[in-house]
Amino acid sequence: MQNSSQLKNEFIKKWVQGLHIYCSSKKEMNLLERKKKIKLSANIALAYAKNSTTCWSKAIISEAKREERNTILARNLSDPGSKFRCAYQKVTCHKRIRSKKILKKSCGVGKKMKKISELRRGSNLATCVAKRLVKKRTQVLKRLVPGGESMDEYSIIKEALDYILSLRVQVDVMKNLVDATTS
Amino acid sequence: MEPPSLAAKLAGLGAWPTSLCNYGDTHLQILVKKFDTNCRFRSVASRMEKDGFFNNEGNGMGIPPAWNSIFGMELESQVTEVNCSPEQIPNCFLNGNWDNTMDQSDPFESALSSIVSSPVNSHPGISIPGCKNVVLKELIGRLGIICNSGEISPQSCINNSTNTSCYNTPLNSPPKLNLSNMDHHQQIHGNSPIPRNHQLPPAPFPADPGFVERAARLSCFGMKEPEVHHMEESSLSEQISNGETGIKGQNTYSNGRKRKAVPKGKGKETQSSTLSAKDNKVEPEKEVSDAKRSKSDEEGNGIKKEEGNQKPTKENAKPSEPPKDYIHVRARRGEATDSHSLAERVRREKISERMKFLQDLVPGCNKVTGKAVMLDEIINYVQSLQRQVEFLSMKLATINPRMDMNTEGVLSKDTRASMVNTMNHLDALAQPFYAMAHDGPENPLTGMMHRGSNVKSSQIYGYGEAPVFWENDLQGVVQTGFNQNQGQSFHGPMGTGQMKVEL
Repeated sequence: MQNSSQLKNEFIKKWVQGLHIYCSSKKEMNLLERKKKIKLSANIALAYAKNSTTCWSKAIISEAKREERNTILARNLSDPGSKFRCAYQKVTCHKRIRSKKILKKSCGVGKKMKKISELRRGSNLATCVAKRLVKKRTQVLKRLVPGGESMDEYSIIKEALDYILSLRVQVDVMKNLVDATTS
Repeated sequence: MEPPSLAAKLAGLGAWPTSLCNYGDTHLQILVKKFDTNCRFRSVASRMEKDGFFNNEGNGMGIPPAWNSIFGMELESQVTEVNCSPEQIPNCFLNGNWDNTMDQSDPFESALSSIVSSPVNSHPGISIPGCKNVVLKELIGRLGIICNSGEISPQSCINNSTNTSCYNTPLNSPPKLNLSNMDHHQQIHGNSPIPRNHQLPPAPFPADPGFVERAARLSCFGMKEPEVHHMEESSLSEQISNGETGIKGQNTYSNGRKRKAVPKGKGKETQSSTLSAKDNKVEPEKEVSDAKRSKSDEEGNGIKKEEGNQKPTKENAKPSEPPKDYIHVRARRGEATDSHSLAERVRREKISERMKFLQDLVPGCNKVTGKAVMLDEIINYVQSLQRQVEFLSMKLATINPRMDMNTEGVLSKDTRASMVNTMNHLDALAQPFYAMAHDGPENPLTGMMHRGSNVKSSQIYGYGEAPVFWENDLQGVVQTGFNQNQGQSFHGPMGTGQMKVEL
């Protein structure tokens, strides 16, 4: 509870900073752009509120820094120390993804033989089906959680846990804001 | 509408989108999407009308000095730094006020958002032939009901959820017994996950209507695929029963990163205080799971218990200890003891440990066992949260700067005591939204305190230009081609001063 309220405060602080950056740009924005900017600033603020402790937050930040139009916002919000970390993280993520793919391809044949031999041994088909189901779902989850592609099954669950918490905080704050401004 | 029938229909409605998506029928999916976007669209539409085109209306009041100083003070007063390390999170989420996420005073919106968050996952192996047309008609009927009725009673949803959790009991009875045994074992040894579980907040999950809906939906949905679950549960129960039947001390050594414990007959564990993660991360949960694993053995070894007890307490005291060398794995009786299967077992148990935490976190998952279903729920939850963020950010983007309330009014509106702190920040937060709605040469920060004087003038021309505006913007937002309904929604009775979402 304490942690979530701390997170909330941090998030609000950073979000306000981000929004001010947009306000001071004095550009014309239609509804869609405004919504995108709000969402983006909220996401980045959330990621920064985590102080780059989790993988998904690093992923959000690195992705924001990569895109041209968002770099201003990202840079302004970041602490100088975390910059290096983010750049490094991005590079390692890509490398990890690539090496994992190569590994999978090379091991794919071996796994197939193993499966066949297992089936011959008579171990139940059910576990294979169950594994396939779980694998499908973990793939979906990897797509949902930002930066999730580069994680194995175990850490994706951990990241998802953290991400759920932060999303809740975000939704909470936004809801309160909406309530406050509409009531 | 009487509550029971409505609740039944809602539960039924909740089940439909799931099953529809499973059929993979694009037409049905489009229907669901349309419903989704229709309701959102209306809410946005109602707000948009109020907005009109106040963007260019500048009040010209010079507030900056006072406001800026206030804001600056707000920022400075926030001294606390958040360093939320991942190890602390499992300890803190248990106290998380998740039941605040769904505002009780806004059940309609929350329920709607939960309905709207139709899961898109594909569940394989479901073939209920010949039902598609019936389902389609039913869905259309229900959509009409939902859109017309304005009341959803959360209580009826709660009642419904408890009744419709039918697939759980017959399928879960064998695993439940074993699981309860395991838990009992753990409780005996005073394992540390158990106190964690006991710290669960007493807030009942059904208090959250949106997620009760989804629980109802899940249980209804679960009926449709008994086979898949059954297989999974049987495999789970198999694993658990293997663990319960006994242990076999092994003295094998793996050349990998794991070292197995010596047999219990010798009454010694070579080393119990060095643990390591596969990926060399330190987490108390892993060590706890290891301790739990060792404790789930039938033969109670006193020394081993003690050592196991010491492990979690030590690790909980210092969660940031450097990673240790080995995980001690004990092979269970009847299982292969080569390094691969043991490594597999370790992995599996780590994952199931995490699943348990997530079970506590995601509402409505208490009765669910099985990894795939749990993952399903998690995915649904993440998707729904993300959609909520989208929706809320859209709502915030349409915030009307001409709001006839001042900052003191915002602060005084705080009804929840726990939100007092955040309201101060919300006030600071609300200003930029007003500012963002302004374009133009003036300083955005100055033009935010709009008063009601702008209302009438903007409303006059608001109606005329609204259609064009909506078509341009909302077509981008509404992803399905929904043009014909855009004209209809204009006729909604948008009141003068109220910006309630009309659905």
